[in-house]
Amino acid sequence: MTLFRFAPYVLKSLWRHCARTALTVSGAAVALFVFCVVGAVQGGLESLTRQSQADQTLVVFQENRFCPASSRLPEDYARTIAKLPGVKDVIPIKVLTNNCRASLDVVVFNGLPPGKLRAARDLELLSGNWSEFEGRTDAAFAGQAVAQRRNLKVGQKFTMGEVTVSIVGVFKSSVTAEDNFIYTHLDFLQRAPGRNTVGTVTQLEVLLAENADPDAMAGAIDAKFRSGPVATTTRTKGVFQRETLSDLAELIGFAHWLGYACLGLVLSLVATTTVMAVQDRIKEHAVLQTLGLRPMRVFRLVLAESLLQSLAGGFLGIGLGMFLLGWWGFSIGAEGVTIAFKPSLSLAVSGAVVSAAVGVLAGLAPGYQAARTEIVTALRQA
Amino acid sequence: MPLVEIRNLTKEFSKGDEKITPLKEVDLTIEEKDFLSLMGASGTGKSTLMNLLTGIDRPTSGQIIVNGTDITQLSRGRLADWRAANIGYIFQTHNLIPVLTAYENIELPLLLLPMSAAERRKRVEIALEAVDLSDRADHYPRQLSGGQEQRVGIARAIVANPTIVVGDEPTGNLDARTAEQILELVERLNVELGMTVFVVTHDPKVGAIAARRLHLDEGRLIESVDGHPAFVHDAVQRRA
Repeated sequence: MTLFRFAPYVLKSLWRHCARTALTVSGAAVALFVFCVVGAVQGGLESLTRQSQADQTLVVFQENRFCPASSRLPEDYARTIAKLPGVKDVIPIKVLTNNCRASLDVVVFNGLPPGKLRAARDLELLSGNWSEFEGRTDAAFAGQAVAQRRNLKVGQKFTMGEVTVSIVGVFKSSVTAEDNFIYTHLDFLQRAPGRNTVGTVTQLEVLLAENADPDAMAGAIDAKFRSGPVATTTRTKGVFQRETLSDLAELIGFAHWLGYACLGLVLSLVATTTVMAVQDRIKEHAVLQTLGLRPMRVFRLVLAESLLQSLAGGFLGIGLGMFLLGWWGFSIGAEGVTIAFKPSLSLAVSGAVVSAAVGVLAGLAPGYQAARTEIVTALRQA
Repeated sequence: MPLVEIRNLTKEFSKGDEKITPLKEVDLTIEEKDFLSLMGASGTGKSTLMNLLTGIDRPTSGQIIVNGTDITQLSRGRLADWRAANIGYIFQTHNLIPVLTAYENIELPLLLLPMSAAERRKRVEIALEAVDLSDRADHYPRQLSGGQEQRVGIARAIVANPTIVVGDEPTGNLDARTAEQILELVERLNVELGMTVFVVTHDPKVGAIAARRLHLDEGRLIESVDGHPAFVHDAVQRRA
């Protein structure tokens, strides 16, 4: 309670060296911004590979595939697979991407039969309608993230290489990574200029019955086509995505250390500023103790200053991070699989908790120093 | 029972191999509403005695009993609480908090006491009026003259209605005219408000306004009456 009465003193003390405080707060903001971005990428990767839906879905692609372009499965494999017991449905998909390597601005076309798209994907249309999509061969639905990034609106044409689609809707998917896809008709992509891939697809998505064993089904499918014209490799969707993104996942795993390094940076920055503030005010703290402020209260005042700086920077960095990540719809992808940078409330809360913890930690040593000040010695200081 | 009773108070320092004893077995009693001055050359232990009396320093041995409490036995935290309730400290260099206004500086000691905001406001306003600075309440220390700063310091010292007001060279940093005004104010604290005042000074003019004048000489405390040490005064009285 007493500490709240000293709030004007704490705030004015921070304002006294406003340039120093502002620099510390901005440093903390930058660090927490990086922490949020790293956390958002990690969150995106985790949500992609932990989709519960992914476990009952298999992805069949050409053996030794490297990139969507290097997988050409006969489309009629779908009919053969559909006859296997335990298979609910098979969706033939043609994938076309502007960049097979890791990139921050991947555009991925997914060509599906329109009826299958509507049934298999949980898409909420933010604009446009299904009837127009189904009625036009070159029609395309753009995910909200790619639409935001590329400023795509209904009625516009969008060209990638030799493929031009008409945007007839913008959607939001329950799977964040799909917000970076552009869905169009399968036969349109198969007939795209210069491709001549009619009758082939990049991959087949196999939806399994709830009681089917995904691993056994994957083995059965691969066994079926081992001696066929094109051998297959079948994985659950989660494993497929994890394997495809393994290089990126390693990089992202490394990047999370960068997030921790940023926290270390904030810790040392706030601690340095607080130590400087305490050393500047040794006499002032001695005066406060002479007036009757307990050493523990002086400790708490210093802790409050440190906490406020860290929290102010943290909130600024987290707010900016959440805003930019949400606004720009960043994603990173490779081989046609994308990881959406996923800002979330839990990430913001953990950022705030981390900021608070860093603020407290940074204030411990300076607070102890201020509380242990020898009053008589400090009062003699000029 | 006296307000303050100091018994066999000794303070020793070590400076390298040398042992310094600024106070040696000092005894002193202070009654309520006393006005005492403590004089002596620099380095004789005046400030040390005041620091011990206010509990911001610890004696090597001896007791300081204030209102029945031996403050030498209190922990650092409880000593701080005791100071908040019992001591009003006037510093030589004012020591106002630069980021706070005159009003906020005066309010500081009250923030440590259980008191409503309305009561705090009332007390600060009375203290400001007592030092004739009501019109400077919103001024920051840098916007005040040296004399005004010291008056704010005095208001801060008296606002919690302490048991004792102590002053460490309260006019030491002021010009002669301002020092005179401050002395008048300190005298009023004792005469009009009935406060117990203890002032440490090396200025004889300051010492002279106190009813009880103390000198420190080689660690021993000597009380003078009419300008002479008490034992000389007593001898003169006996002969007469």
